[in-house]
Amino acid sequence: MNRVAATIALVARREVSTQVRSRTFVIGLVLMLAVFGGYGAVFAFVGSQTSEASLVLDGQAHELREDLRSAADRQGLQLTLTEAGNRATAESMVRGGEADAMLTGGFGTFQLVGRDDVGAGLRTLVTGVVEQRAVTDALSAAGADPDRVSALSGVGIRTLEPADPERGQRIAIALAVTFLLFFSVTAYGAAVAQGVVEEKSGRVVELLLATIPATQLLAGKIVGLGLVGLLQLLILGAVGTVVALATGLLAVPAVLAGTLLSAVVWYLVGFFLFATLYAAAGALVSRQEELQSVTAPVAVPLLVPLLLAVAVLPTDPHNTVTTVLSYVPFFSQTLMPARTALGAAAWWEVLIALALALAALVGMVLLSARVYRNSVLRTGARVGWREALKRP
Amino acid sequence: MLAIEGLAKRFGTATALDGVTFQVRPGEVFGFVGGNGAGKTTTMRIVLGVLDPDAGTVSWRGSPVDATVRRRIGYLPEERGLYPKMRVTEHLVYLARLHGMSRSAARDAAATWTGRVGLAERRHDEVQKLSLGNQQRVQLCAALVHDPDVLVLDEPFSGLDPAAVDTLSEVLRERAAAGIPVIFSSHQLELVERLCDRVGIISAGRMAAVGTVDDLRAASAERYDVTGPPAGWADGLPGVRVLDTDGARTRVELEPGTDDQKLLAAALQAGPVHAFGPYRPPLSELYRDAVADRPGTGGPA
Repeated sequence: MNRVAATIALVARREVSTQVRSRTFVIGLVLMLAVFGGYGAVFAFVGSQTSEASLVLDGQAHELREDLRSAADRQGLQLTLTEAGNRATAESMVRGGEADAMLTGGFGTFQLVGRDDVGAGLRTLVTGVVEQRAVTDALSAAGADPDRVSALSGVGIRTLEPADPERGQRIAIALAVTFLLFFSVTAYGAAVAQGVVEEKSGRVVELLLATIPATQLLAGKIVGLGLVGLLQLLILGAVGTVVALATGLLAVPAVLAGTLLSAVVWYLVGFFLFATLYAAAGALVSRQEELQSVTAPVAVPLLVPLLLAVAVLPTDPHNTVTTVLSYVPFFSQTLMPARTALGAAAWWEVLIALALALAALVGMVLLSARVYRNSVLRTGARVGWREALKRP
Repeated sequence: MLAIEGLAKRFGTATALDGVTFQVRPGEVFGFVGGNGAGKTTTMRIVLGVLDPDAGTVSWRGSPVDATVRRRIGYLPEERGLYPKMRVTEHLVYLARLHGMSRSAARDAAATWTGRVGLAERRHDEVQKLSLGNQQRVQLCAALVHDPDVLVLDEPFSGLDPAAVDTLSEVLRERAAAGIPVIFSSHQLELVERLCDRVGIISAGRMAAVGTVDDLRAASAERYDVTGPPAGWADGLPGVRVLDTDGARTRVELEPGTDDQKLLAAALQAGPVHAFGPYRPPLSELYRDAVADRPGTGGPA
């Protein structure tokens, strides 16, 4: 047993040192950091667009100053209000970009003027305030009490389950984790297939198999590449976390820590599940050019949950299809962590999905080892699945 | 002793091996010869456990060869192959460690063997940067680096320059002298005859002959070279078959039980005899005879 472990460790170490020295590793890392950076920048940009606005008030509009301020506070909009001495100054401020828009005119003739457009947030705010003011004044004039009308017309809104104030952030984290896992499992699963074919086409595999058993060679290769993938995942996760926290993009370290932990666990499960599949596929062919044809079908179970996680989960975290699939091995490694990040999965759900995935993994390891052993020394024509799966 | 007993292997409908049996003793260099597709590589692959036989066993010192024994075998596969991007020393150390060597012992052995085959200057180069001949030397080092108890080499001499052939011959004799069995296949029969203690000839998946070259000679019919008498002198002599005539020399083969003195008397009667003596056929001729009556085999390439 000791010797088996030592052999697997030797093979794994070779894989790690070869991979880490390779250009693919560095390029992959840089590429992912760029994607991450772009993703963060877009979020930051969209965030700044919606939460900040500046308005210059001209003439009678200054009477609405207090109403505008309190309405902006209620909506979480950071509103900068300035008053220009005259209309021309106000207009030049809008034209020059110092203010997003100006409010001019008086009751009945108010005009909200932007340079070429007025942001939706600002538009809603100002029209709401003007309308409210008009109604209040009309009610007062009619002898009614505006406060009482307001109290009577209010509709309280509440949810049966506590609303999640961090939902937006959770969606962001869930998407990041989904992409990260998809990338890691795909890249390093494919690296396993490529490594297997490389040894086969380079003929070194015969020398290796004359020295150590096929299962140990396969196990070492998968463990080694899995560790490299994990290393990359951790680097990206750490960089992402630090950047997100430093820029104030995300403000929930607790959610993030839990999510990262679950990402690591699911990465390992997902990677090993797919790596065994990729290794078996790689053993069937003799040349790199043929690899695509056998690994393409493997990409399907990787893509389906990714699309579901991106398209369905953010808007509908409790969707039935995704909930059911999040238990199914080969889908769970993407869907369950996404649901966890969204706060839509209980801890026992995660455990059930993990148990099912591990059971599938045991089966896959046995099957893949058989295919590998049956096919890896057969060069030339592609080995058929049926033949490869034959009991030796 | 490395004992190969009754190996049988079929690939689909083709029979690759059919009852292959022979032994290689410690300290013995065993030459394994046969035509292309005769079953040499298949036999060696089965010895290394790379291929499973349909029947038969391979045993070492009386017990079946298992993973533990295989770690102690040095193997040179017919299909050469190394990791192209690994450096020479790094690669050899890796292989030695897979065989169970400690890191420092592996380093020392890698240095020793690369020096021995003349690759001392290339130790830190990537394998892919070496010429094919030098890659072949690295491959030889890979078979030797872990100080194996048994050597199994498939065509170790192919692709080597004369200097490397000499070095390898020396290494094989030296390893055998250290008490390990050495088995190698080759199509260079003069080399096999010079280097090997015993020879096994395989043809169409069966052993056609196994023994020392002298054994093989003794087993074949006696042959004589007679120089002197005019051509045609031996035609029609009972128990005598003329093999070929070259000028004044006639080469004949005697049927078992034919008296060589009667042959000499007949020769003297036909004319003056300048030379008369037994002919010792080289391995290449013995090989041809051994595989001659087997269908479906080519000669040595």
